Amino acid sequence: MSGLGSFLAAREIWQSPLAASVLAGALLGFLGVYVVLRRTVFVSAALTQISTVGLVVGLFLEERLHVEAEHAHHQLGMAMGFAVVGALLLGALRPRRLPAEATVGAAWVAASAAVVLGISKLVHASHDLGGMVFGNAVAVPDDELWMIGAVALLCAVLHLAFAKEIAFASFDPETATALGLRVRGWDAVLSLTVGLAIPASARALGALPVFALLTLPASAALLLGLRFRAVFALATLLGVLAAAGGYLVSWFAETPTGATMVLLAALALLPGALRRAKA
Amino acid sequence: MGAAAPPTLVALHRAGVGHGRRPLLTGVELSVTAGDFLAMVGPNGGGKTTVLRSLLGALPLLSGRRELPRPLRVGYVPQRDHVDAIWPLTAGEVVLMGRTPGLGILHRPGPGDRRAGAEALARVGIGDLAERRYRDLSGGQRQRTLIARALAADPELLAVDEPTNGMDPAAELSTMDVLRDLHAGGALAVVMVSHRLDAVANYARSLAFVDHERGIFQVGSLEEMLRPGPLSALYGRAVEVREVGGRWLVQPVSGGRP
Repeated sequence: MSGLGSFLAAREIWQSPLAASVLAGALLGFLGVYVVLRRTVFVSAALTQISTVGLVVGLFLEERLHVEAEHAHHQLGMAMGFAVVGALLLGALRPRRLPAEATVGAAWVAASAAVVLGISKLVHASHDLGGMVFGNAVAVPDDELWMIGAVALLCAVLHLAFAKEIAFASFDPETATALGLRVRGWDAVLSLTVGLAIPASARALGALPVFALLTLPASAALLLGLRFRAVFALATLLGVLAAAGGYLVSWFAETPTGATMVLLAALALLPGALRRAKA
Repeated sequence: MGAAAPPTLVALHRAGVGHGRRPLLTGVELSVTAGDFLAMVGPNGGGKTTVLRSLLGALPLLSGRRELPRPLRVGYVPQRDHVDAIWPLTAGEVVLMGRTPGLGILHRPGPGDRRAGAEALARVGIGDLAERRYRDLSGGQRQRTLIARALAADPELLAVDEPTNGMDPAAELSTMDVLRDLHAGGALAVVMVSHRLDAVANYARSLAFVDHERGIFQVGSLEEMLRPGPLSALYGRAVEVREVGGRWLVQPVSGGRP
């Protein structure tokens, strides 16, 4: 029990990262249902990279131009700005001559390269590439935790209040438009929530776990063949279990945190996959 | 003037319709009155759906004007394959979405909305499928579900886009029979789009021929339109119309080489 004892004694260290994991897991698990059903999984991957570019640009401004950006909320603000603008642009820019996935792929690969280049030009070694991409969730400052909480609350309010409009506009935009719904507006609300949730979580968890939590819990819930509302509830729960569980497992097993979260989320796919294999 | 003409529900006057800046068709004159059954026919990509969406106000006009004498309750039935069946929704949940615009923001559907949804499913003959997954339904059942969703809003105008696309003949006939029965049941006006004249000629009261490639937009009663002149303009070759057993048959004449 000494492992547990030392864990409890170290509460100061883990309570913020664990709380951030719970909030981010729930938020990303819920939003992931829309991401998966709207067939925009790779849009979310591109947005995660674009928001990481925002983080790197923030760090760059601080280091090179001495622009005040040392606090988490400055950097997060930059990442959020990039992600929201990216989400709106990817939603609006649909060149007729290209399939949508080509635009998304171009955004992802260009943003990924920009992250690598940007970090290579940063002098301070504390901002390592691995941490940004794969996550380290070791230290989550209070203002960052508050930011994740505020984003989660805003998303919860918007999605509770406008659930039927967002669902209709996502499921059948053609009919929703014909019946007078402002589909672009509701799409923008959804893009805004995803565009805020990704950077808010990505700074604490890392880009790869964020992408995983947007994709895997929702896929696991959908594979089980549940009803629409139940899918949202289960995806939210699985998001929390994967993120918080991944953090705890990585603490005790001394494994990399982000990768542990991703693997736990992937394990959640098994029951649905086995059920389908049997059926 | 004798008996009062049925009131106009919605009309386009000298309308330029299209996406972006360049109009697909100009000078479109189209009026839908209460109780109408209008079928818009023409080749795929000919602009039928664009005219329909402009008529409904879902696509802004590039020129001309849209007349809407009073607020109109519209039901819209999209092409079946435009609706993504991956969503884990039941037929009943899909139908309930039809009540969304009438409910207003922040209001959730209540028992009255659920009742209207159940009645709409019963009207199209699949009241027993409310709990079934939309994706598990056959093509004909999905089409009926989408028609029921449009009916759930208690529309005065039912707009239907290619309802029989990709259906076998039996499903096609029974889908068209559902639309005919709904139209016969009251003051519901139906506007439908089809690329196959033979699928709609026995149901519609008036026809619009639409083909932007050749600048065709022609509207008239069934009798006016099922004539060699308008038909050969639409198809670009001689077309024969015959009545067999009370049903219209429309066939291109095989004159020499195809």
